[in-house]
Amino acid sequence: MTVELVAQTIVNGIHVGALYGLVAVGLSLIFGVMKILNIAHGEFLMVGGYVAFWVFDLYDTDPFLSLPLVAIAMFLLGAGSYKLLFSGLAKFHEESKMENSLLVGFGLFLVFPQITRMLWTTDERAITPAYSGGSLPILGVRLAYVPLGALLVALVVILALHLLLTKTYFGKSVRATTQNWKSAKLAGINVERTYLITFGLGVAIAGVAGVFVGLIHAINPDIGIGWTLKALIVVVLAGIGSIGGAFFAGLILGVVEAVGAIFMGPYTVALGLVIFLLIMIFRPRGLFGKA
Amino acid sequence: MLEVNSIDVYYGDFQALWAVSLKVYEGELVSLIGANCAGKSTIVETISGLLIPAAGSVIFNGVRLDKEPTHHIVKLGISLSPQERGIFPAMSILENLEVGAFTPKSRNLRNDSFKLVYELFPILKSRKKQAAGTLSGGEQQMLAIGRALMSKPKLLMLDEPSMGLAPLIVTAIFEVIQQINESGVSILLVEQNVPAALGLASRAYIVENGRIGGQGDAKSLLDDEKVKDAYLGTG
Repeated sequence: MTVELVAQTIVNGIHVGALYGLVAVGLSLIFGVMKILNIAHGEFLMVGGYVAFWVFDLYDTDPFLSLPLVAIAMFLLGAGSYKLLFSGLAKFHEESKMENSLLVGFGLFLVFPQITRMLWTTDERAITPAYSGGSLPILGVRLAYVPLGALLVALVVILALHLLLTKTYFGKSVRATTQNWKSAKLAGINVERTYLITFGLGVAIAGVAGVFVGLIHAINPDIGIGWTLKALIVVVLAGIGSIGGAFFAGLILGVVEAVGAIFMGPYTVALGLVIFLLIMIFRPRGLFGKA
Repeated sequence: MLEVNSIDVYYGDFQALWAVSLKVYEGELVSLIGANCAGKSTIVETISGLLIPAAGSVIFNGVRLDKEPTHHIVKLGISLSPQERGIFPAMSILENLEVGAFTPKSRNLRNDSFKLVYELFPILKSRKKQAAGTLSGGEQQMLAIGRALMSKPKLLMLDEPSMGLAPLIVTAIFEVIQQINESGVSILLVEQNVPAALGLASRAYIVENGRIGGQGDAKSLLDDEKVKDAYLGTG
C-alpha cells in the first residue's frame, strides 16, 4: 500500500514537473539569449491554453492534433510582441535592458488577462476530450493518459530544441549570440532576427505548455503569474544556460512538491519558495548552471 | 578600397572621434598606432557598423557603410577580429569557425576556408573539438583571426592581435598576418606594439586623442623623431 502510494506520488510529481520544466525551458531560453526576463511568460502560457480551448470547443479538434497550430500561433504572437514591445530594448546595456524588460513584461501581465476576460469571461475553462479521465494501471500505479501524453510531448520538444541548438546553423547563431553578441554580429549574424525568432520559440513552448495546463487542470485569465513564478523558481534551481537542466529541474520541483504535499498539505506551495531561497544562498549559479 | 571621411563618433555625450579620415587601398597593410584609449578601436568598430558616426561617411568599394547594420558590412567583405578576441568560449573551435562563415556566400565556400585557416594555424585543426574557452591566450587569438577569415573578407581588420601575448607568439602571429596580406587580403591593423606594427605595415596613421595626429610610410615614421620619442622609447 505505502509503496504504491509513494510510487503514485512520484509519478504524479513527474507529470506536474514535466509542465514546470517545459514552461521553464522557454523562459530560460529567452533570458539566456537576450537577457530579457519575461514576466509575461505565464500570460503567454495562458493564451496558448485558450487558443487550444477555442479550437477544441468551436471545431471539436483534438488538443493533441491542434498542438502544432497552437505552437505556430503562439510563435507569431511572441515574435509580434517582441518586434512591437521588446526590440526597442536591444540598444540598452545589459542591466537597464533587464529592468526595462521587466516593465514591459508587467505591462503585458496587466493587458493579456484583461483581453482574455473580454474574450472568454472569467469562467474556468478546461479542455475535456473523451479520454481525459482515462488511465493505464501498471503494478498498482495509475498512469493517466493525458499527463503521460504531456510528458512525451515535453520530451520531444526538449529533444527537438536541443537538436536545433546544437546541430543547425540557426542554433549555432543562437548560442554564439548568447555567448558574445558583439562577436556574433561581427561574424555576420543578424542578431536582431535571432532575438526575434528565439523570443517566438520561447513563447511557442509556453503556449504548448498552456495546452496541457488546460487539459490536466483548468485555465482562467489569472493563472499566468503563478506559472511565471514556478518557471522562475525552476530556472533559478537549474541555472542559466542548460536546456536539459531546466527541464530536469522542473521534474525535481514537481516531485518535491508532490511528496511534500503528503506531509505539508496546503503549505506545499511554500516549498518552491524555500528551494528558491536555499539555492540563492548556497548555490547562486544553480544546479546545472555554468559559473 | 576603404575610405573613411571625417567621421565624428560619440559614446552618449562623450565625443570619442573628431573628424577622422583614412584610406586603405587594395592589397595594402595599413596600421593604426597610438596610445591606449586614443580611439583606435572606436575607428574599426565604426567601420564594422557596431558604432554609428554622427558625422562623416565610410565608403567601401563605392558603397556607403555608415548606416548599414554589421551583418551587411560583413557580407560586403569587411571582417573584424575584435579586441580581447571575443571568441565563443562554450563552443568548440570547429563551431567558432563555422559561425564565422555565417553569410550565405561564405557558408558555401567554407570547406576552402577551413583548409586555409587550418594551414595558417595547424594547432586549431588538432584541437578542433576542444571548447574555445580552454585555449591559451595565443591560441584564442589565432582562433579569432581564423574566425574573421572564415567570412572570406576583402578587408581584414585586426584589433590588437598582440595584446597580452608572449613575444615569441606575437612574432608567429605577425608572420601569419603577413601571409594573409600576401594572399591578397587588405589589412587594417590596430596596434600598440608600434615597432612591430611599423615593421609589418606599408603605411600607418597615428591616432591621438580621437584625432589623426600623423600619417606616412611606415619606414619614414620609424625614423621620425616625434614617433621615436612618443612610441618607440628611443628618442
